[in-house]
Amino acid sequence: MTRNFSAWPIYALLGILSAPLAIMYLFLVIDTFTNAPPGSLIPNEFTFHHWRFLWDPTVTGDVWGPTLTTFLFATSMVVIVLAISSTAGYAISRLNLPFRRFFLSGIMVMHAFPSVTLIIGVFLVLQYAGLYNTLIGVILVKASLMLPFGVWIMKGFYDQVPWEIEMAGVQDGASRFTVWRRLILPQVTPGLLSLGIFAFIDGWSEFMLPRILAPSANFQVLSTYLNVVSDPNSTTYNFNLFKSVGLYYTLPILVLFVVFQNRLMNIFGGGTKG
Amino acid sequence: MQVTLKNFTKTFDDTTVIDSMNLAVNDGEMLALLGPSGCGKSTTLFAICGIHRINGGQILFGDRDVSDVPSQKRNVGVVFQNYALYPHLTVFENIAFPLSVRGDSKPDIEREVRAIAALTHIEELLARRPAQLSGGQQQRVALARALVRKPDVLLLDEPLANLDAKLRLEMRSEIRRIQLETGITAILVTHDQVEAMSMCDRIAIMNKGEILQIATPTDMYRAPVNKFVAGFLGNPPIVMLEGRTSGDGRFLVKEGTSLPLPARLAGMPGDTPLSLGVRPEHFGAAGANRVEGTISFVEPQGRETLFDVTLDDGVVLRSIQPARDDVVFGQKVVWPLDAEKLLAFDVSGRAV
Amino acid sequence: MRTRTSLLGLAFVSPALALLFAFFLMPVVLTTVFAFTNMSTSTGITGGSHVITGNLLRDLGNAGVDDDIVAALSEGSFSVTPETLAAAAEAGVEPRFLGEIESSLMGQSFEDARSFESALKALPSRPTRIRDLKLATEPFERSILNTRYSSRAAMETAIASMVPDAPVDTVSAIAEASYTGWRWIDGGNFQTLLDRPETIRIVLNTVFYVAATLAFNVFVGLFLAITTFYLPKTGAGFFSVLWLLPRITPVVLYAVMWKWFTWDNGFLYVIAEQLGLPAFNYMKGSVPTAWATIILVNGFVGASFGMILFSGALRAIPVQQLWASEVDGASRWQQIRRIILPQLRWPILFVTSYQTLSLLSSYEQIWLTTNGGPGSTTTVWALEAFNTALNNYTGNLEYGMGAAMALILVAVGLILSILYLRMFRFDELVNKPRIEF
Repeated sequence: MTRNFSAWPIYALLGILSAPLAIMYLFLVIDTFTNAPPGSLIPNEFTFHHWRFLWDPTVTGDVWGPTLTTFLFATSMVVIVLAISSTAGYAISRLNLPFRRFFLSGIMVMHAFPSVTLIIGVFLVLQYAGLYNTLIGVILVKASLMLPFGVWIMKGFYDQVPWEIEMAGVQDGASRFTVWRRLILPQVTPGLLSLGIFAFIDGWSEFMLPRILAPSANFQVLSTYLNVVSDPNSTTYNFNLFKSVGLYYTLPILVLFVVFQNRLMNIFGGGTKG
Repeated sequence: MQVTLKNFTKTFDDTTVIDSMNLAVNDGEMLALLGPSGCGKSTTLFAICGIHRINGGQILFGDRDVSDVPSQKRNVGVVFQNYALYPHLTVFENIAFPLSVRGDSKPDIEREVRAIAALTHIEELLARRPAQLSGGQQQRVALARALVRKPDVLLLDEPLANLDAKLRLEMRSEIRRIQLETGITAILVTHDQVEAMSMCDRIAIMNKGEILQIATPTDMYRAPVNKFVAGFLGNPPIVMLEGRTSGDGRFLVKEGTSLPLPARLAGMPGDTPLSLGVRPEHFGAAGANRVEGTISFVEPQGRETLFDVTLDDGVVLRSIQPARDDVVFGQKVVWPLDAEKLLAFDVSGRAV
Repeated sequence: MRTRTSLLGLAFVSPALALLFAFFLMPVVLTTVFAFTNMSTSTGITGGSHVITGNLLRDLGNAGVDDDIVAALSEGSFSVTPETLAAAAEAGVEPRFLGEIESSLMGQSFEDARSFESALKALPSRPTRIRDLKLATEPFERSILNTRYSSRAAMETAIASMVPDAPVDTVSAIAEASYTGWRWIDGGNFQTLLDRPETIRIVLNTVFYVAATLAFNVFVGLFLAITTFYLPKTGAGFFSVLWLLPRITPVVLYAVMWKWFTWDNGFLYVIAEQLGLPAFNYMKGSVPTAWATIILVNGFVGASFGMILFSGALRAIPVQQLWASEVDGASRWQQIRRIILPQLRWPILFVTSYQTLSLLSSYEQIWLTTNGGPGSTTTVWALEAFNTALNNYTGNLEYGMGAAMALILVAVGLILSILYLRMFRFDELVNKPRIEF
């Protein structure tokens, strides 16, 4: 395409529109390392003072416990989502099942369906199952709510593997399980990786479920930790501190996002919730 | 291993694709399933190898009824049109896969793979991955993988369709050589008559889910059972003329021209509707009858030249002759027609 | 021909089925069922027992139950039964005295302490001290007030023993009213919703919120997709990453950033102050600014969804079409208007419908920013349902009412998602397995 136009007006428009975002993210980083005099936004000193929460638990409480819990939460959920999506996705893409069509439409409806509206029902299910206020309960719920998406995405990846590979495997004498394990699964590993990263970011960020389904549990994840710390009405009102904790919390997924941006775009485009 | 289909029937949803088909492939024979796309030849192949379930009838390998035996236990080797090599495995691992699934020992696998690689001339490719191979090499690997298990039957689904013209020629004879060397019963599915005729002992020609004729390539070319077979075989294709018998050993094309009937049909009663098939090599080369017309098209093909000759009443006959440039467009010619070689078909299309 | 069900397939889908059953189907069922109950923190979620409380008696009196019955229920009575004898033995009443009580008074009831005491005084081995006598009567006292009965029948028996002459239907009505667990109230929750004046307010808020945010998402998404399509790679890359950031930023941090941006002494505050404009807490200080904040907070997350899908669709347009249009002399604007936009019709429809659904049910961002304030001016349906059922500051969580509100969303969500499924022909993505064994 020719560039028979000047790009500057477009940059200007985009710049104005994006200004709030740019400012917020810029100051998210700047404010964690600097102080500004009252009533001004321009920093006048450089400091690591706002990061002292990392080694001084008196500032906001212990941050390492929640970090570990968050990691545990996100990884267990990723493992569950990957294990179940990779098997169920294969089954509905390739195997003879009764009600297969119905199951698939169900998955699609559940995928489009806004699962947050189920939170009250989920709360009751956990109460009845005795999993309320437990980490395992929250992990199961989070993984389950993600399943329709995961199964759907994995089905898409399996659909792209040529049938002939599968047929050849069967002709070569392999059982369907062996075919899946040794021939098909290696073809969808890129998809599995993307889904895993996506699920990890999603699990790492999750706030609502731990907050509602395990409000008085003896564990905290970083999202609930940050929410407690960063109450602007609290006595420790200090946005520089809030942002430092927040940036610390978000750094791992920012890194993942930057490294795996292209992979994630496939998944985003594959129909995530808007 | 003899392969027999008895009253084989296959339906998809509510459409019957193949209705009660019978076919016997002899031990050690290479048979072509030839037909236009959608004629059911691939369906037949998939039923033989156990990817499709059959709705009726039986499939026998020797005396063994394999109709309900899953693919894994049929011991059939298949070469797919796109070769279906496992992209994440090396050539060696690809060929070794059937053996390792079977649980063979490492030394056995190594030996078998080397042996089959030698047969298919791919010894130097064993460490590569499929993506690093040319089409012909992939084809050889697919063959090696299909054969390494020493299957009872080898099935080839359009194996040459994805190759360019030169490689196709080479692989045609290679596949035939390997089949002959292993002595395996083989079934080739193809829509290409040249492939079928050049590679196979016999051809089963199919249309709309039915086998029309099973014969050796020459027999089938010389004596097609019906109009469809006659039209499907031969390049350039046969010219069909519609008309009626005159009753005195001649044939009146409906446009008006009168042509001689072969002697065997001379006794036919008059006014019988017939189709008369004229192959291009039977016009313009030899024969007792002379036909006059105007050259309306010339297509030099190198070794041969193809002519269209339009007769006075508009009927177009085709002629293929050793390359010549003495005849030009618009020229009037009087060429011989070999009436004895003409093919005739009745209204239902059957050969008479 | 029967297609054999793949056992492997069953094994492969069953974990997914189990989890989806537990955390999709069951919640839907429970939401539906409990929408028709008055379940709340005080009723508990499992069930309850039967208790007559002082409050209940007052209510019963007001409801026209005979005053005598109410009075009788509020008093204690004394009866000699194997249970009360056992209780007395436990309390240390002298065994010989107990034996006499058992032999002469077994099965009798006394309406008040005095008549029971005088009956006891007639027994030979009664305690001499009046205090001991009173102590000995205590284990025999049976008060129905504040006593828990596990079943309704037990409660009815208890009432009947207290007021033997009460009519049966009154007894059963009182027993019914004494139930402390949740009960079916048919459409009571929905009736309440209809009667409440705030309901219409919340509905209007929701409509406004969804419409405004949707408009922002679609237009900004389109604008971003088209501009980044025409820009050189680095510039385009910068802006698409910037707009994708809110999507992957954890919502809590995102809320903190917006708070900093709009709060007292935050970014806008300081700027406004320096420019002499009104400076206040924009997030919570006024209705228009609260709305603007909410729409932007959600819009900046949602716009990237449109951007991604539209960009994908744009890249799918054969570039020859654009060249051809340029050769034909179309201006940039004409190119967008006549060639690009018509081809984005389906993606736009898809984004619109998809986001309508997710916006209808979203409340996380609102909850973490304005939380529906100031007052309840920015409260939307989903937030209200959530607050009613799970996040009430007064401590009494009305699960039944919340479920009723959620049920409406669930129904809308199901209908819309099935509709979209049809509209976008997703069911055509299902292919039959080609290996039939």
